Amino acid sequence: MIEFEKVQKKFPDGTEAVKQISFRVEKGEFLTLIGPSGCGKTTSMKMINRLIEPTSGLIKINDKDIKEYNIHELRWNIGYVLQEIALFPHMTIEENIAVVPEMKKWKKKDLEKRTDELMEMVGLDPNTYKSRKPSELSGGQQQRVGVIRALAADPDIILMDEPFSALDPISREQLQSDIQKLQQEIQKTIVFVTHDIDEALALGDRVCLMNEGEVVQISTPQELILNPQTDFVRNFVGERKSPWQTAVDVMVDTTKKHIVQEGTSYPEVGTYIIEGENQKYIGAVQNGEAIDLPPIQNDLHLRRATTVFDEYETSILPVVKNNILVGTLSYRDIVHYLQRQTKLENGVIHQ
Amino acid sequence: MSELKATFLDRQDMFWQSIWEHLQLSIISLLIAILIAVPLGLLLTRTKKIAEPIITITAILQTIPSLAILAFLIPIVGIGFKPAIYALSAYALLPILRNTYTGINEVDRALIEAAKGMGMSSFRRLARVELPLAMPVIMAGIRTSMVLIVGTATIAALIGAGGLGELILLGINRGGDIPLILLGAIPAALLAIALDNILRLFERTSAKSGFRSLATILVASLLIVTIPFVINGDDQADLVIGGKLGAEPEILMNMYKVLIEEETDLTVETKPNFGKTDYVFEALKGGDLDVYPEFTGTVITTLLGEQANSNVKQEVYEQARDGIKEAENMVLLEPMEYNNTYAVATTQEVAKQYGLESIGDLKVAEDKVTAGFTLEFNDRYDGYVGMQEEYGLDLTVKTMEPGVRQTAIKEGDVQVIDAYATAGYMVAYNLKVLEDPENIFPPYQGAPLVKQSTLDQYPEIGDVLNQLGGKITKQQMQEMNYKVDFEDEDAYQVARNFLKDNGFID
Repeated sequence: MIEFEKVQKKFPDGTEAVKQISFRVEKGEFLTLIGPSGCGKTTSMKMINRLIEPTSGLIKINDKDIKEYNIHELRWNIGYVLQEIALFPHMTIEENIAVVPEMKKWKKKDLEKRTDELMEMVGLDPNTYKSRKPSELSGGQQQRVGVIRALAADPDIILMDEPFSALDPISREQLQSDIQKLQQEIQKTIVFVTHDIDEALALGDRVCLMNEGEVVQISTPQELILNPQTDFVRNFVGERKSPWQTAVDVMVDTTKKHIVQEGTSYPEVGTYIIEGENQKYIGAVQNGEAIDLPPIQNDLHLRRATTVFDEYETSILPVVKNNILVGTLSYRDIVHYLQRQTKLENGVIHQ
Repeated sequence: MSELKATFLDRQDMFWQSIWEHLQLSIISLLIAILIAVPLGLLLTRTKKIAEPIITITAILQTIPSLAILAFLIPIVGIGFKPAIYALSAYALLPILRNTYTGINEVDRALIEAAKGMGMSSFRRLARVELPLAMPVIMAGIRTSMVLIVGTATIAALIGAGGLGELILLGINRGGDIPLILLGAIPAALLAIALDNILRLFERTSAKSGFRSLATILVASLLIVTIPFVINGDDQADLVIGGKLGAEPEILMNMYKVLIEEETDLTVETKPNFGKTDYVFEALKGGDLDVYPEFTGTVITTLLGEQANSNVKQEVYEQARDGIKEAENMVLLEPMEYNNTYAVATTQEVAKQYGLESIGDLKVAEDKVTAGFTLEFNDRYDGYVGMQEEYGLDLTVKTMEPGVRQTAIKEGDVQVIDAYATAGYMVAYNLKVLEDPENIFPPYQGAPLVKQSTLDQYPEIGDVLNQLGGKITKQQMQEMNYKVDFEDEDAYQVARNFLKDNGFID
């Protein structure tokens, strides 16, 4: 879908923000770009919609050099969400959402329908909020509008530049889970820049970790944590807050030890998760009896996941990502993870 | 207050006319300034390298005194409405340009990036995002310019563009006629406040509607100022007669008008109160005027830049006539009898106190009297320079505007002034003219100055105007000036009565 080929960016002042990077973003993939400040992640992202032009190298969308597209049409097909939110303050919410569809000359009726649909999708009542000005909305609400403004003209690609970093923690968490739900519905190709490693690990199908203008490692969140390719990756990923705030994603047991296929004979002893067609979660059995276990999302924080364990008095839970069963999580997995995260030095425990 | 009311009632026609002219001048100038400065400001935000130099140029324009701009413009665009409009527009550029540039530049960078990233073209970004957001700042600039223009427009009267400045100038020329000055100054201030309030209303709505509110202002004001042009578009007179500021030129102009209209089929328009010699002369040269009354002495010293070769009236006239014919191809028709020369005048009391009869007598009172001279007189050979050389005088001199001298001598701030021999205040304050035995002041006889081409087109006016040749004595002129300046009689009526009483017309 999006392809970087030896893309380099040198600014007039001589700084080489991006050094010959190459990578691909697949169609429908959610890629998070992360790294310390000045690593070139934002520059890389802005080269996709040509807000910044590369010094050398090639960026292709659908196998076509982005310079061959009309620049405005290219941008109409790339939704853009900014850290500063940047809703136009003199326009109503409705007018803000209509900016790109208007340029694409949508019919008024289609536009109205689309606006209502999008607003409902992010939990904003169209009748209440449509004709309000951005300043009348809370920060979280504003960024919801920022997201649906980017989605309005149904682009194939969405770029998000630290979209939630200006929000308070509660709104941020809410929006993070909203964007995940949204992605399950809309399946866009998303490039998401962030400086928050937990956010990057929780949201990304893959995480692209950059440092000093180079891609250090690009892989799934699990891979990044389990197989860091350099010390930099290890340190950077390790720099997280408490392990309790880590998404369960990285602790998931993907060996399918505790998974049985639907329709086979279920073991008489122990708790097992049943997997159906297309890796769907079907249900669970305990000692041969069907029991009710809710699947947990792969991005759920560990602390919250443990409350689900308590609630259902179980020692194992199925983990899903985009409605697909990715593995299981047991108390044992959690303990192993916590063990890996802590070091024992002279009898003192360090995180 | 009652005096002001009386002056208002007396000059109601002129008052409303002046307000209207003032409004027209201001709005057209503002309009032109907006049409230049807003697009230019927008352009500069797209080409930032040249922005600062351009803004500096407009800042320099702003520092040139408005009077100087007018003087520069007269040789190029003539007199009247046009140069006034140009000068006022040039004046109004800076605040609008600077606010447009700043307003657009101060739009949040994130919004610009959002607009770009969403695929807006440069123009669309300007129209949909930058302009609406910068509109309040731009409007503030427009308001500043508007107040500036309404205030400065009072000087337009100096070059015959009319407006409230005409009342003020007239008031100053009359030796500080306070009610008349106020009648011009107060409405100018009120006009500025009123227009400012109207623009503020636009400013409030401008953030919402952006382009639309700007367009509304433009269209509305265009309508206001063009309607009168459409209504009275075609009353072009055959001849335009002008005159300097003051009663005497105005009376003479009207005499010319009456005579020409009575004795030929031509129609005449008068443009009184034209300020100084240079302005009127340039206007004649440029074709804005066809005739104006000038003095023989002035033609030689000011227009030709020569010295009078003689003190004999006829010889001075001939020198002036031949010189201006050769230099500018203009005809100085036959002069009238009276000699409105420079005179040195003092009060009867001072004359008695020091026994003053001639200019030379001032020597004895040199340390005790202060002289109030016009800038021009102070600097001329046929003025104070000559007085110093020929009479050996060394007076304490204060230079001042012509209109202020009479007040100064009346109040006793000065004891000696330079005066025009025929001026009305000579009668009013019973001033004594000191004799000039050395003849340093050449004769200043009034005569119509007209372009040869005008005479070729209307040969009949030469004979008509020459009827006044050798007529009108100094005393007659003084009396007429007194009637206009001090008894508030209408110049046209005074001129007409004189012509009638002396048998020029029936």
